[in-house]
Amino acid sequence: MIMFILRRLISIAVTFIVVSIIIFMMMHAIPGGPFDGNDMPLSDAVRAKLMARLGLDQPLHVQYLNYMWGVLHFDFGVPYQSPGDTIIGLLSRAWVPSLVLGGAGVLIGAPLGVLLGMAAALNRNTWIDYLASTFATLGLTIPVFVISLMLILVFAVWLNWLPASGWGKPERWILPIIAYAAIPLATYARYTRSAMLDTLNRPFVTVLRAKGLSERRIIFQHVLRNSAIPLVTVFLPMFIGTATGSIFVEAMFRVPGLGAYFVSSIEKRDYPLEMALMLMITMMYCLAYLFSDIVYALLNPRIRAGGKP
Amino acid sequence: MKLVEINGLTVDFSQYGGSVAAVRGVSFHLNEGESLGIVGESGSGKSVTCMALLRLLGANARIGADSMILDGVNVLDADAEGLAQLRGRSAAMIFQDPMTAFDPVFSIGHQIVETIRVHRKTSKREAWAEAEQLLLRVEIKNAKDVLHYYPHQLSGGMLQRAMIAMALSCRPKVLIADEPTTALDVTIQAQILQLIKKVQAEFGMALIMITHDLGVIAETVDRVLVMYGGEVMEEGLVQDIFDAPQHAYTKTLLASLKAGATKPDSAAEADETAVPALELRGLSKTYRVHQGQGFSRKYADFRAVRTVDLVLPRNKIVGLVGESGSGKTTTGMMALRLTEPSGGQILVDGSDISTLEPTALKSFRRRMQVIFQDSYSALDPMMTLAQIVAEPLHIHGITPGKQQTETALDWLEKVGLDRNFGQRYPHELSGGQRQRVAIARALILGPSVLVADEPTSALDVTVKAQIIGLLKQLQREMGLSMLFISHDLGTVRTLTDTVVVMYRGRVVEQAPTAQIFENPQHPYTRALLDAIPASNPRDKRLRTFLSATDIEAATPRYTVIQTGMAPNATPQLVSIAPNHLVEAVVTT
Repeated sequence: MIMFILRRLISIAVTFIVVSIIIFMMMHAIPGGPFDGNDMPLSDAVRAKLMARLGLDQPLHVQYLNYMWGVLHFDFGVPYQSPGDTIIGLLSRAWVPSLVLGGAGVLIGAPLGVLLGMAAALNRNTWIDYLASTFATLGLTIPVFVISLMLILVFAVWLNWLPASGWGKPERWILPIIAYAAIPLATYARYTRSAMLDTLNRPFVTVLRAKGLSERRIIFQHVLRNSAIPLVTVFLPMFIGTATGSIFVEAMFRVPGLGAYFVSSIEKRDYPLEMALMLMITMMYCLAYLFSDIVYALLNPRIRAGGKP
Repeated sequence: MKLVEINGLTVDFSQYGGSVAAVRGVSFHLNEGESLGIVGESGSGKSVTCMALLRLLGANARIGADSMILDGVNVLDADAEGLAQLRGRSAAMIFQDPMTAFDPVFSIGHQIVETIRVHRKTSKREAWAEAEQLLLRVEIKNAKDVLHYYPHQLSGGMLQRAMIAMALSCRPKVLIADEPTTALDVTIQAQILQLIKKVQAEFGMALIMITHDLGVIAETVDRVLVMYGGEVMEEGLVQDIFDAPQHAYTKTLLASLKAGATKPDSAAEADETAVPALELRGLSKTYRVHQGQGFSRKYADFRAVRTVDLVLPRNKIVGLVGESGSGKTTTGMMALRLTEPSGGQILVDGSDISTLEPTALKSFRRRMQVIFQDSYSALDPMMTLAQIVAEPLHIHGITPGKQQTETALDWLEKVGLDRNFGQRYPHELSGGQRQRVAIARALILGPSVLVADEPTSALDVTVKAQIIGLLKQLQREMGLSMLFISHDLGTVRTLTDTVVVMYRGRVVEQAPTAQIFENPQHPYTRALLDAIPASNPRDKRLRTFLSATDIEAATPRYTVIQTGMAPNATPQLVSIAPNHLVEAVVTT
């Protein structure tokens, strides 16, 4: 198991380097530079001086190596948008609302989705199943900004129960979290339903019944655990979404999260910020898959045994 | 006392657009300690009847009966708790495919202990100790280790033993075995059947043996129920059923068991000097298996097939037999270059095709065709039968487009299907009909070599006899040379001219069919023949089984004088009679 994790860590390091090179090249392949904007025209001399100070006049591979050297020391540089700040400082401030929003959204949406999926699978082809499936399909097909608008309309405008936007106080969190939870809930409901139905149709379930086990024990001890194996692979990538938040939900509810920076860093050619955001996501994907592989192995003896007889 | 008593049982399955009657008015009883066999083909309702007895059928099944009593309890009235009491304690069940019958994420021991603790109040420690005892009683030698194994770490035979141990754990009064050996090799089947009889006697249980195989019936039961189309056709003592069957269907079943016990001599005598249709020279297959963990670059070679020589003479049928894992299918697939060999040569009509490029190989593909075991996955579900059968013509661009369909329909007729089947899709057909389509597709190109990989082992006995008859007839008409891969020795005996026995990737014996069956020399061949179920209850007997080490130890020995070969301590194929080769040690 330890060897397995170690091997994964090395492959993660390789992935990380390859991805960072690709992102760096793509980022610089976009025409234009950070000081080409029309809002503040600069003379050529001033621009050249600025570029030189930020190291942007050097060849690309030197720039890349310089940046990555900084990353190794947890120095992600200074955002061009707000030169008085550091990227670490800026991200750590903006990250908190995104993390709360995404984390709460998944932590609420996923278990509810599992329950909904279970209810549907255990009551297959009854009104419970149809209702749950309709609900799940709606959650997946209606765009999240439409759901957000409807929530604002119903709870903020008509009923006037909750504030329409902002972040500061906890009651402002409720609507964006509900909007955010819709996708994990719907995804989970659908996956759980099909995974459970697959398991319920496998011959060993009949054997368990023939052994005289109660239906409760069969479902909770055997069927759920077997169904969890495919679910784990869906679960973890979803957690990355939690950490990066949702651009749409944050925009609809004016949450001061990370979302806005994804757009502005590209628009303004804010290379250090863009790079930092992308590396962060890459790292989170890598860790999420590592984690999901570990959980997978714990659930499934065929992988855990590692081929030993 | 009557343990099971069923009167007028009916089971209907409601389906999209109506309901299907699977069991129509079945009545039977079972006394304590008695062995009852239920025989019939797939769809006869034999499994459904027993599943209904334990109420194991899905929600779409409607069960009705005048009465259905198990161990003094009316099953139809039992509530969830009452059912849980009956299941496992009054009646325990073992199933067809042991590979899928265990929950893959729990260890064997865990699953046996779970069963014990659901029915009896025992401590965990006692239950584990008892589980170990149970595994020992089903003749698993390393019971302590096996308790901690997961299902995927055990072979089918071992899993079926563990399944029996689990069934025994609550001392059931009746053991229901639903095709318990169908998924197993013939040698393992014989061991499992003997084990079931042994534990039945030891635990004083009654037995219901559900099977399609009359040989299994002859070996294991006292009384037989013959089912067909959801009804009981005939009931009687096993000896009476075999000696004096009353019902026409029973007679057909028995006839298919004895089918072709006498084999017509093949008319065309093989010309010894003629170039064989197919010849394999030193063909081998080695798979690289990653060993060790982590960064180690250790690989082991798994030798699936080690240097096989085989000659398929023109217009003859050669049988290739052996247990699963013996390398017989790999050899057949390599002969067609559907699996790339690791070494050796393949000669088709005398020319070596083992290194040909795909384009050069294509013209040879016309001469070599194949039929697989699972006819369902071998036919494209999106194509009509006419398209399926005509596709080879299209690929090789032989007949002009319009005639292709005509030729395909002609072939459907030749394999005994109606011309109007051309517009149908594979899922509309029965297993036997689909295998006929597969045969038509293989033969439409007029090949000279046909490799048939277990073409009948997924079929019912009566259908099997028909397909074998068809293959035999077409082989004679077309002058085919056929490599018939099978573990079913009964079929091999009636169909083939020569038998090649494979064991652990090697050919251990090879001889004309009659010779193999009358005078087997290699211990493995003998074990294989000994394991064939009796064709009449009179012939059933206790068997002794050889382990792999026993077989190695009993390798035949011949002297230099007998063989004319140099002495050699490593076993090699030696010729002991005309056309009879056996793996043996040559001594001085």
